[in-house]
Amino acid sequence: MRSEPSWETFAIGHERYDCIVDPDTAFWALEPRETMHDELRSVRMERAYRRKADEFAKEMDSLRFTRRPSAVYFNPTERCNLNCTYCYIPEAMRRDGSHMSEQRLLDALSRLKRYFSRTLPRGERGQIIFHGAEPLLNRDAVSTGISAFRNDFHFGIQTNATLLDDRTVEFLVTHGVSIGLSLDSASESIGSRTRRTWSGRPVHEQVVSAMDKLRGYAHWSVIATMARGNMKRLIDLVEFFHAKEVPTCMLNVVRCTLDRSRRVKPSDATASRHYLAALDRTFELYRETGRKLPVANFANILLAIIAPSARRLMCDISPCGGGRCFFALAPDGDLFPCSEFIGLDEFRGGNLFEDEMKDVLVSPAFRRVTERRIENFEPCRSCAIRHFCGAPCPAEVRSDGAALNGRGAFCEFYKEQARYAFRAIADNRHEAYLWEDWAEGTRITFALLIRTRTRLDSGLIFSPGRVPRPRRPSIHSRSRHSS
Amino acid sequence: MKTSGKRSGTGAKKAVKSGKVIAFRRTCEAKGTGLSHYILMKPKSK
Repeated sequence: MRSEPSWETFAIGHERYDCIVDPDTAFWALEPRETMHDELRSVRMERAYRRKADEFAKEMDSLRFTRRPSAVYFNPTERCNLNCTYCYIPEAMRRDGSHMSEQRLLDALSRLKRYFSRTLPRGERGQIIFHGAEPLLNRDAVSTGISAFRNDFHFGIQTNATLLDDRTVEFLVTHGVSIGLSLDSASESIGSRTRRTWSGRPVHEQVVSAMDKLRGYAHWSVIATMARGNMKRLIDLVEFFHAKEVPTCMLNVVRCTLDRSRRVKPSDATASRHYLAALDRTFELYRETGRKLPVANFANILLAIIAPSARRLMCDISPCGGGRCFFALAPDGDLFPCSEFIGLDEFRGGNLFEDEMKDVLVSPAFRRVTERRIENFEPCRSCAIRHFCGAPCPAEVRSDGAALNGRGAFCEFYKEQARYAFRAIADNRHEAYLWEDWAEGTRITFALLIRTRTRLDSGLIFSPGRVPRPRRPSIHSRSRHSS
Repeated sequence: MKTSGKRSGTGAKKAVKSGKVIAFRRTCEAKGTGLSHYILMKPKSK
């Protein structure tokens, strides 16, 4: 049994609503500000919550501590044909590294298939994301692996798109491979500040050409990395993505794991301002066209709030997904909790070709990440939104010279995202930011709506309560709060 | 939030605000899923 709820107030910057959170269970309620201290309302709400508090606590424990890996970041090569400003893979590896041989790649997939057959629920397939560096530099081996194991895994590939010719696109689409591209700006001059070849040549046109080839395919998406150079043009970027019919995008703030990326780190305030303006623009585009452009990293924070166990990304939770929901495989077979740690020997948990996965997952290197719990360090342990944020990312925290148990590099940025998410919920426009099928496989476990009427001169006069299903949000109930 | 007028016993009009407390939550029973990459974010129940 849980102890008493521990309510924290979280100011969300809404003209009418404030938010209270019980951080341990990630339960929240939005309350009209003038009735925040109304006892009658509080008693009704608390009574309803207490009936569910234990269930919610168990749900959070299950989400945080009982998952098993279901995805592998599979690096089939150390090499890359680009030299992006913020890449977290050491330069020597990207420039002169080696490929995984085709035979070795097939052996690795075979071992992973065996592992997942023992650990995943019956009928569920593991997920293999070919990642890099640039995986298509080792295209033939990757293609052979996808063909040979097409019925055993869900495959995805994250690529810089410079090698996505017609033949490759056709192969990937035919095999139902999910494809992620990278593009940081709608304009070549801005995008090439961060993404360029070793000789400094821009690649913008090649990426845009690949986007045109993928138009109409359901399983592709684009990652943009937000850094100092492109922050001010994020609105242009989401308009560009929307015009290109990108199904989903991600606006990831630069991961500051290396010195070179720390040099292009925006301040939290700057990142928040431009990022939230871009979210506003995606909402407007939806109103104007009826077509969404979900920003997956924001959508995931919304999900963390309204359906915690339905979240699909596992960076912004503590412990993060590294080493417990997914792990990374280097071309030599070495295993790391996450791609962010590739090249750092202290985080090498073993080798796929030499060790048993069950031993690797409990290795000291992996446990440093999987046992990083937000309850164990300040200031996060007392933060109201600790389970909507998770203090990401341990690799970034470590490289910033701090102990692994420290707050994330973008603490205020995460708070602003949570505030924005709660404002969207208060204004009943949150579904505009989510995938069409976001609620599939979920069920309602709590729904409370207490209507209040307050006489302005003397407090509450009427408070009939009911417990309805949440009404279907209308995108026309537009917020007057943008950031 | 809507603001409306309401007559009191003296006939004077009192301003009243109406609002609502909002709290809801969904859960997902699927196990064994969760990744850090969005490109494979297929529905968890599948």
